[in-house]
Amino acid sequence: MTTTSIADPMSPATTTIPVGPLHVALEEPMYFRIDISGERVAHVGINAGHVHRGIEYLATKRTLIQNVVLTERICSLCSNSHPEAFAMAAEEIGGIEVPERGKYLRVIAAEVKRVASHLFNVAILAHLVGYDALFMHVMQVREIAQDLKEGVFGNRMDLGAICIGGARYDLDEETTALLRSSLDKLEPEIAEIEKTYRTNGSILRRTRDVGVLANSDAIACGVVGPVARASGVDYDVRREAPYHVYDRMPVEVKTRQDGDVWSRAMIRLHEARNAISIIRRCLDTLPTGPVNVGEKPDVPAGRAVARSEAPRGELIYFLKTGDSEQPERLKWRVPSFMNWDALTFMMRDAKVADIAIIVNSIDPCVSCTER
Amino acid sequence: MSRIPDDIETRLRAAAPSGISYEQKTDPLGVTVAWCELANKDELLAIAECLARCGARLSMITGSQPPAPPEVEAEESETDAGDGVAEAASPEPTLSFGGTPLDGTAYELDYHFDLAGDALTVVALVAQGSSIASLTPVYRTADWPEREIMELYGLRIVGHPDPRRLFLDKSIEPAVLERLIPFSTLTNATSTSDLWSKVMEAGKEASQ
Amino acid sequence: MNFLALFARNLTKGPYTEPFPFAPAPTAKRFRGKIEFDAETCEGCRLCERVCPAGAIRMTRTAEGMTFDCWHDSCVFCGNCEFHCPTKSIHQTADWHLAHTQDQKFLMVEHALIPNQICAECGKEALATAPATRTVTPPLSPTETQHLKALCPKCRAKFIRARKAAA
Repeated sequence: MTTTSIADPMSPATTTIPVGPLHVALEEPMYFRIDISGERVAHVGINAGHVHRGIEYLATKRTLIQNVVLTERICSLCSNSHPEAFAMAAEEIGGIEVPERGKYLRVIAAEVKRVASHLFNVAILAHLVGYDALFMHVMQVREIAQDLKEGVFGNRMDLGAICIGGARYDLDEETTALLRSSLDKLEPEIAEIEKTYRTNGSILRRTRDVGVLANSDAIACGVVGPVARASGVDYDVRREAPYHVYDRMPVEVKTRQDGDVWSRAMIRLHEARNAISIIRRCLDTLPTGPVNVGEKPDVPAGRAVARSEAPRGELIYFLKTGDSEQPERLKWRVPSFMNWDALTFMMRDAKVADIAIIVNSIDPCVSCTER
Repeated sequence: MSRIPDDIETRLRAAAPSGISYEQKTDPLGVTVAWCELANKDELLAIAECLARCGARLSMITGSQPPAPPEVEAEESETDAGDGVAEAASPEPTLSFGGTPLDGTAYELDYHFDLAGDALTVVALVAQGSSIASLTPVYRTADWPEREIMELYGLRIVGHPDPRRLFLDKSIEPAVLERLIPFSTLTNATSTSDLWSKVMEAGKEASQ
Repeated sequence: MNFLALFARNLTKGPYTEPFPFAPAPTAKRFRGKIEFDAETCEGCRLCERVCPAGAIRMTRTAEGMTFDCWHDSCVFCGNCEFHCPTKSIHQTADWHLAHTQDQKFLMVEHALIPNQICAECGKEALATAPATRTVTPPLSPTETQHLKALCPKCRAKFIRARKAAA
């Protein structure tokens, strides 16, 4: 197919079509108002707000301890990263030092979530490409991670691994064995999946050079996470602003230069494999001792900023506490919030048929974005 | 991208002649977290330009309406803002470092910047009825956060290219975060006394 | 990926899905399910009520004592109550069988009563909570604990003070 002219939104040949709010890529509502010229996207208007729930207001009516749970329920896929960053902010204000073992356990929880989250996203990519056999297979592999979460943390999504002052769970022999055996099962499967995404013609034809985000645009939009790294932005909170024990972990920050849908998927698959190495390192070097500081740590008035690398990228929390048990202000910005804007660049002159694939490639999270 | 330069304070002071209150802390892993409160909110744009030259990325903007500090603290207020504060009997509200009255109606805007892993937060206080300049001419990423702040608070942000609502529908009254929203409304009535009387009644019957 | 090999593997393995409800679904030991409350060991500190983010727990003083209610329909299964409970009187079971019809919804409640009792020392009416003995040194013997439980808070404090003075 060839493009004969640069699409002009004002030209009479332009038509406006609604995409969404439902079933654009995931079953989350986001409405795109797209002007198309022929078969190409000329202009993208993003219309948000379908799942705005006022959680930031609710958070100021809840105590810090209640907010650990509330923040975990903002999003399902990066549910662990929210209480993690929130607790880090509270600990910063309270001058609370998390015990070593607690730090390791936090890393394990975060990386398990990363494996499951990335597999979910690349699975949906296969589905949108129309390769449903691969979709089913990747979801089946992800199921190993889901069962692992249920076995170790007691829930398939909300791990409940974090409390202010440390970790809320501990590993015993049985759960360590379950973790290790699950990782042993996951690793070769993910390596195989990575190979398929690297070589399979159906995947490559639909994802290479599709939804390209140039490096300069990536910097201008301030994108984070795999979206940034696929466009050559060498940034990962785990390396740039290490927290917990990430300074001692084999974190491999991989970047790609092409900035297309395929590069983003490959970055995610690489990170899923790297996460497994990180969990193994944690299990090998896990120190003994307490997992948290004990009951109800005291958090005085103060302010703090905390950041963590959620599966989708940098998650930042700002906490301001006063004299009461409730925070004066709790604000957070999720990685997806930054990445939406980049869609306008990615979709420039894209084929209408590729819209869903491009939207999925930023691993969008609407419930996170709108809170 | 580069981390917070050593002479950042000098650079920021040069950009904001009215003065800043600057503090920073570096943790054992080498991550610096810095805070910079502006005396004059009109110097925000100059500060943003200075930070953009340092390669900073605007990561988040927080809007809030800090409550007025309790009366007793006004007596021994550490902020040396001068008039009206030193007198214990004075009914005047406490002033911020820059002289904005902290009476519970002023807005606090926190601009969270990232410098290759280091965090720098620029704090600007805006008195009720006043306005602040948009950062969108310098940072594209200020667009959505500023739109969100405009729909949540009654604060005016001047120079925003697209000041439409972001998440909230047009039919919703403005400045939602400045209103008291009943808790039962907020939680979809899942913890009202009516509901609980039914639950407890049923619980009692079931246990008998 | 060799999909033929995968096909063969999946054929020999059979369905991945659980046969539930025709057979029991395997549940992880640590699964965080329905709340269970033990009024016997509860000290009545009401911390669970305060840490519950969903407001699913209510403890109320009544004429008979103090009631505990946890409405499963509000509960989010976070386990905050069990985590913060000093005596682990609240426990999250691995039971997830909570499906019910609309008319059953108010019955989805864990209800218990910490009754009033007459203090064995002073004869005043007080709650028969478990005595808070974790910080007492040297640890109380079972008979001492039993005795303490029959007292009102004031007489309990008196007993502990007297014991400390004797030691």
